[in-house]
Amino acid sequence: MADLNAARRELEDALGGGEVLSDPLALRLYARDASMVEGSAALVVFPRSTDDIVACVRTASRHGLHVVPRGSGTGLAGASTPIGDALVVVTAKMDRIIGIRSEDRLAWVEPGLFNLDLGTALRGTGFTYMPDPSSQQVSSIGGNVGTNAGGPHCLAYGVTSAHVLAMDVVLSDGSVVRLGAEGPEAAGYDLRGVVVGAEGTVGLVAAVCVRLTPEPPAITTMLLDFATVEDCAATVSAIIATGVVPAALEMMDQGIVRAVESFAHAGYPTDAAAVLLVEVDGIAAGVHAQTLEVEAAAHEHSVGTIRVAESAQERALLWKGRKSAFGAIAQIAPHYHLHDCVVPRSKLVEVLTGVYAICRREDITVTNVFHAGDGNLHPLLSFDRSEPGILERVLRASEEIVRLCVDAGGSLSGEHGIGLEKRDFMPLVFTEDDLAAQACVRSAFDPPGRMNPQKVLPDGARCGDFAVAAAGASPDGIGDAAGPSIPEGTWI
Amino acid sequence: MDLIEPGTKDEVRDALRGASERRSSVAIVGGRTHADKGNPAEVDRELSTARLDRVIAYDPEEMLAVVEGGIRMGELRRVLADGGQEWPSDAPDDATVGGTIAVAASSPRRLRMGPIRDSVVELELVTGDGRLVRSGARTVKSVQGYDLHRLATGSLGSLGAIVQVAVKVRPLPKARRLVVSGAGGLAAGRIVLSAVPLPSAVVATPDRIKVSLEGWPAEVEEQTTAISGASGDVEIEDGAPIGGPEAIGAPVVAEVAVAPSRLDGVLAGERDWRALMGVGIAWVGLPDNGKRLASLRRRVAEVGGIAPVIRGPGGLGDAPVPALEVHRRLKAAFDPAGILAPGRFWGGL
Repeated sequence: MADLNAARRELEDALGGGEVLSDPLALRLYARDASMVEGSAALVVFPRSTDDIVACVRTASRHGLHVVPRGSGTGLAGASTPIGDALVVVTAKMDRIIGIRSEDRLAWVEPGLFNLDLGTALRGTGFTYMPDPSSQQVSSIGGNVGTNAGGPHCLAYGVTSAHVLAMDVVLSDGSVVRLGAEGPEAAGYDLRGVVVGAEGTVGLVAAVCVRLTPEPPAITTMLLDFATVEDCAATVSAIIATGVVPAALEMMDQGIVRAVESFAHAGYPTDAAAVLLVEVDGIAAGVHAQTLEVEAAAHEHSVGTIRVAESAQERALLWKGRKSAFGAIAQIAPHYHLHDCVVPRSKLVEVLTGVYAICRREDITVTNVFHAGDGNLHPLLSFDRSEPGILERVLRASEEIVRLCVDAGGSLSGEHGIGLEKRDFMPLVFTEDDLAAQACVRSAFDPPGRMNPQKVLPDGARCGDFAVAAAGASPDGIGDAAGPSIPEGTWI
Repeated sequence: MDLIEPGTKDEVRDALRGASERRSSVAIVGGRTHADKGNPAEVDRELSTARLDRVIAYDPEEMLAVVEGGIRMGELRRVLADGGQEWPSDAPDDATVGGTIAVAASSPRRLRMGPIRDSVVELELVTGDGRLVRSGARTVKSVQGYDLHRLATGSLGSLGAIVQVAVKVRPLPKARRLVVSGAGGLAAGRIVLSAVPLPSAVVATPDRIKVSLEGWPAEVEEQTTAISGASGDVEIEDGAPIGGPEAIGAPVVAEVAVAPSRLDGVLAGERDWRALMGVGIAWVGLPDNGKRLASLRRRVAEVGGIAPVIRGPGGLGDAPVPALEVHRRLKAAFDPAGILAPGRFWGGL
C-alpha cells in the first residue's frame, strides 16, 4: 500500500498545494474517462511544466504509485481510467502554444492544448493542423497523440502519427528524452512512432512538435442522399475507384441524420436511408474535376439529391451536422456506447447489415455515423442505464460487433484505441508471440511497468515469455508489463 | 561469404533461429540497392529475402497491397499500375520492398507523399531468434497495440527480417509534369515552393529548380502557370522523373535531414546537392568520406540534424541517439543473441 499522505506532501511541495487534489469528489470525478469503465484514483495532479511532470513521475516511483496520464478525459476506450494506487496526471493546465514556425512547417505545443485551439491559432498563416477528431473542441493534442487520433480529414491526410514530428517524453525513470526531430528523420529507431498511439503506457508527453500542412486553396463540400444504405456504401467504393481520394468521405444513416437535424438544423434530408458527406480539396481546377467524378459515381448508384455547399457558411453548417452527431444522440437516450472498428471498404455493407441485425436481436437502438472512406465504423448504441439488464445486452452486442469486424478482416480500433475496453479482444487479432513482442516494446520503455499499467495488452501478455525462450537470452532488464486482472478495481 | 536464400517464412525462421543458437552473425539483404546505409558490420553470412517475392493480396478498391518482403519494386510497380495505382516510393526497380522499408528510403516526392513509415500499415518480422511477429492491421487505419512496424521501418535489419508488409497505395495521377526553371539555389527554391500550390516535389540544386506536378490535367496547367509567374522562363518535361539521390554522380552521397529553414547554413560551401524544399532533406555529393563529410556533419549537428551516408563509405555518423537504453532493451528483446549485423545500426547496435 502506497503512503498517499507522504506522496501528496511531496507533490504539493514540488507543484504547489493548489495543483494536487485528493478530496473524495475530485477522486470520483477523475475515476473515469468518456468510456463505460470506472476505476479509482489515489491522487490527481495538474503539472504546469515538464519539470512538474518529472516530479510527478519521481514521486510516483518513490511511493509505488502508477502513473495514469490524462488530457481532457474524452477517451472512449478507458485508457485514462485509473486503477489501483494511481496518480492521475492531468495535463489540462499545460495548454500553451510554445511556438509556430511556418518556415519549418511545424509548431511546438504543450500537451493540454485543445486541438481546435491550435487550428484557431494557425488561421492566417496559410497552414493548418490536419487531424480533426470529432472531439476537437475539447480534446487535447497530448490525448490525440496518446490514441493516435483520427478524424474525418484523415482519409487523405493520415492520422495523428503522420502529423507529429517530435515529442519531449518523460520516461518512467524520470528522464526526459526528445524523440523524433524537427527535421524529417532522426537517429535511432522510430520511438516517436511507438509513443504515438501507446495510450500513455510508455511515457508522458510533455511537449509535442506537430507538422503543419499547407491549407488547400480550394474546397468543395457535398451532401449526397440515398434511398438505400447499399447504394450509399456502393458510392463510397465507386468514388475511390475513379481515382479520387476525397479529403473526407463520411456516411450517416437515417437514425443519426434525424437526431442531428433536429439538433443542428443543417438541412440534412431526414427521409433518406443514408447520406454521404464528401469533401474534395486541392487546386481549384482539380477540385472541379474531382467534384464531377464524385457526382458521376453517385449517379451510377441512384443518388437522390446532391447538395453542394455554396459558401463557407454552408460548408460549416454541413460539417456542424456531422460533428455534432454525438451530442445530438442524447435525444435518443441518456447513455451511449460508441464503437470503433475498421473493416475493408468492400465489406462495409455486409458488416453494417450485421451490426443492425445484432442490435435488433438485443433490442438496442443503433445509429451509424462514420468515416466510410477509411472503412472506419462507429456504431453508436443508445440506451438508458436504469433499464434492468440493458448493460449486459449492450456489452454482449459490443462483443458481437467486434467479432463481426475481426471476422471481416478488420481492426479492433481505428482511432479510439484499446485501453481497458478492448484489451481482452487483442488475442482475436494477435498471436501469443505477437503480444509478447508488444509487451517487450512496452517494457523496453518502462521496465518497472509503472506507466498506465493494465491498458492495451491483455493479462498474460509478457515480454519475459518472449525473451526467455530465446536461445541463450537473458531476461535481465526485461520487465513484466502485464498486471493483475482487469475487472479488479474497475466496474462498468 | 555464405548466402542463405530461404523461400518461405518458415525457412527464414529456421535460418535465424539456427544462427542465434550458433551465435553466428547474419546480415539481411534484399536488392542491395541501399546496402551502403549503416555502419560497417562484419558478418558470417548473408540472408537474402529475394525469394520471398509473392503478392499476397491486392484489391485496388482497398488501396492496400500485401506483399512479401523480397518482392522487387519494379514488380510491385507493374502489379499496382495494372490497378491504376502506385506505392509512392521512388526506390530503384531492383530494390526489394522489405529493403526499402528497412532503410526508410526517402522519395524525392516526399513533400506530397509523406515518409515511407506512414504507408506501412501491417508488417511481419522474423526476429533474430527466429520468431514470427506481426503488428498493425490490413486496413488503411488502425490503432491496435504497439506499432512494431514503426520500429522495423528504418531499423536496417537490426531487429529482424521483414518478410511481409501491407502498404497503403494511391491512385496514379491523371497527369504528371516536370517543370524546370533556370535559376537555382535554396532562395529560388523557396520562391517556387510558396508560389505553386501543392506540388509533389520542389527539388533545388545549385543551378536549377525542378518541380514535380501530379494531378488532374487542368490542375497541372494551373500549377505550371503559377511557376512561370514566379520564376519566369521554364522548361516543361512531361513524364520525366524528378530524380532522387541517384541523380548525383559523386562517389559518396550523404542524406542530410534538418528542419527546412536550416538547409542554408548546412549546405553553405557545398557544390553538389539536391534539396527537397519544404521537407528538409538534402542529398549531398562528396568526393570521399573524409574532411568534407566531417565538416558537413558538424554543421548538421549544430542544428540538431543527421547526415547518414547512403552511398559509399561513411556510415551513419555520430549523432546522439535519444533514449539509448530503450534502444538497447529493444535490440535485446528482438535479437537476444545479437547476431543481426552487429554494430550496423545507430548507437553501435
